[in-house]
Amino acid sequence: MKTLIKISWRNIWRNRSRSIIIITALILGLMGGVFSAAMRLALEEQQFEDTIDNQISHIQLHHPDFIANPEARYSIAGGIEIASELSMRDDIAVASARTVVDGMIASANMSSGVRIKGVVPEVEAKTTGLDELLSDGSYFTGGGRLPSVIIGQALADNLNTGVGSRLVLTFQDVDGEIVSSSFRVEGIFKLTSKSFEERTVYLNAAEMSRIVGAEDVVTEIAVVVEEPGEYRNVAEIIGGLYPDVKVRHWADLQPALYYSLEFLGEALIWILIIIIMAVSFGLLNTILMSILERVRELGVLLAVGMKRRKVFSMIVAETTIIAIIGGIIGLLMSWGMIEILGNTGVPIPGGEGLEDFGYASVLYPRIESSFYFEIALVLVIFAIIASLYPAWKAIRLQPAEAVRQE
Amino acid sequence: MKTVIKTTDLSKTYTGTAVPVHALKNVNLEFRQGEFTAIVGPSGSGKTTFLNVIGGLDKPTGGQVVIDGVDIATMKESKLFDFRLRHIGFVFQAYNLIPVLTAVENVSFIMLLQNRPKAEMEERAREMLNQVGLGDKVDVRPGKLSGGQQQRVAVARALASRPDFVLADEPTANLDTESAFNLLDIMSRLNREEHITLIFSTHDQRVIERARRVITLVDGAVASDEQFERTEVNEKA
Repeated sequence: MKTLIKISWRNIWRNRSRSIIIITALILGLMGGVFSAAMRLALEEQQFEDTIDNQISHIQLHHPDFIANPEARYSIAGGIEIASELSMRDDIAVASARTVVDGMIASANMSSGVRIKGVVPEVEAKTTGLDELLSDGSYFTGGGRLPSVIIGQALADNLNTGVGSRLVLTFQDVDGEIVSSSFRVEGIFKLTSKSFEERTVYLNAAEMSRIVGAEDVVTEIAVVVEEPGEYRNVAEIIGGLYPDVKVRHWADLQPALYYSLEFLGEALIWILIIIIMAVSFGLLNTILMSILERVRELGVLLAVGMKRRKVFSMIVAETTIIAIIGGIIGLLMSWGMIEILGNTGVPIPGGEGLEDFGYASVLYPRIESSFYFEIALVLVIFAIIASLYPAWKAIRLQPAEAVRQE
Repeated sequence: MKTVIKTTDLSKTYTGTAVPVHALKNVNLEFRQGEFTAIVGPSGSGKTTFLNVIGGLDKPTGGQVVIDGVDIATMKESKLFDFRLRHIGFVFQAYNLIPVLTAVENVSFIMLLQNRPKAEMEERAREMLNQVGLGDKVDVRPGKLSGGQQQRVAVARALASRPDFVLADEPTANLDTESAFNLLDIMSRLNREEHITLIFSTHDQRVIERARRVITLVDGAVASDEQFERTEVNEKA
């Protein structure tokens, strides 16, 4: 076995430049695969963090009519109790009861349509991390002459306003009457999604109750589940518990995001398959060429009595050694690449424009450490598969003919 | 001397061509231990086919090849591999050493396949390289050796495992006169000292003149089978 590996090793370096080229192809292929996977994961995490964690949460509950008419009169019956019950469950991290209505916001010289969310500040901080998203001002400390609102950076820019400025909110109360109230901008939040910044306003739930003219008006309950992967199951359970409430998970709420992540996942698999296939065919070609150059030599091995299975193993060993060398160097270089790019970030071409659609302009690739081993294992397996044909060709040689081949 | 190889009505016909080619026709020969035999004949006379068949590299279409009491003509391929490994040494026209192995590794290679102890292998390989005059080239790879030196390594490899007999297909065909004589001296000496049966196919007159038995094949049949008395002096002449 030792000699077999020694021969295989030396055979690899007989044509040094050819072996270096295929090893380089393996390294680049591996780096390409790791980079694609890391970027996909970064994009998924950024999307999850911005859209799901910071905006919509995993699951939302509404009155069935609220979806078409987001008004205070379509509230969830017993909403506070439902939110409280949900918060007690082991599979749910937090449930935030909100009073959400559509309305208008106006500064001294501009106005805009917005979705107004009356929230309990402490609960909202746990649900969307709103307190940590502030780029300016403070988070519902109160104390001012006017009640506080927190608005998005893009909305502040559109309204040409800032922290401390006065704004007027107008919307319908529980009876369908138009009501208005003045607020002071206490904080400005910043997200990747400019459209969310432009159309979302947060105010204290107590203040909201005062304006809509009723206590405990809950039009939306946002739920964060303990295990993000279990959102469908939890949504199904909640739907069973509260059949009169419309329960939707994030994939229902943001189908475009769901399908884009699914597509990215599928695309990544195909990219990896194409990379691995391309590298495998490169390997196959290299080993096949090396076999065809060594027909006479292989014929001698068979003639003197080296068993076909040993010749087969020798060819497979050559390919496997190449794959292991390329794999180890490729993984080390991939790791270094992800370490560097994970810190510096990768700017996305045209990234500024992408922010309007909720995509970050800079991604920070990262990868699960297990992925390195998985892709290396897949590479070695494919390398072994790629070696089977050349190895089969080698053992089909007839020694009497092969030893006389020019 | 005991019979090492016995062929009975040995025939080989190639049927892959438009007209069947009868490469061997009822060849009946016996080779005894320690013989130094040249198989001669014009191109296409069946020399190489004969060596391939008695070496177990090719199957006859008729007759028997009995080696050490076993008919290898009917042996399964998997057993033939082992049989070749244990009983037969080969020297090829184009040296056919393993280029990635050093001289000593090449000579050890067959013993390695036979799972001989490492120390024994190493000692025997070095001894054989000394015998063929390449004691100072043990760690040199074939690419750094001349054609004559490579063929000497090939002879050392064939004889190192002490096979029952060695088959050499035109071993001097690619060598200049000096290298050819040098190789023949070594082979005839080893034949005497190691009592290994040597069978050559050749049309090299230099080899024929040193052989103690010359079998002439014409159109696949034995045309003549002659014995010669050779002294060591005229072997070296």
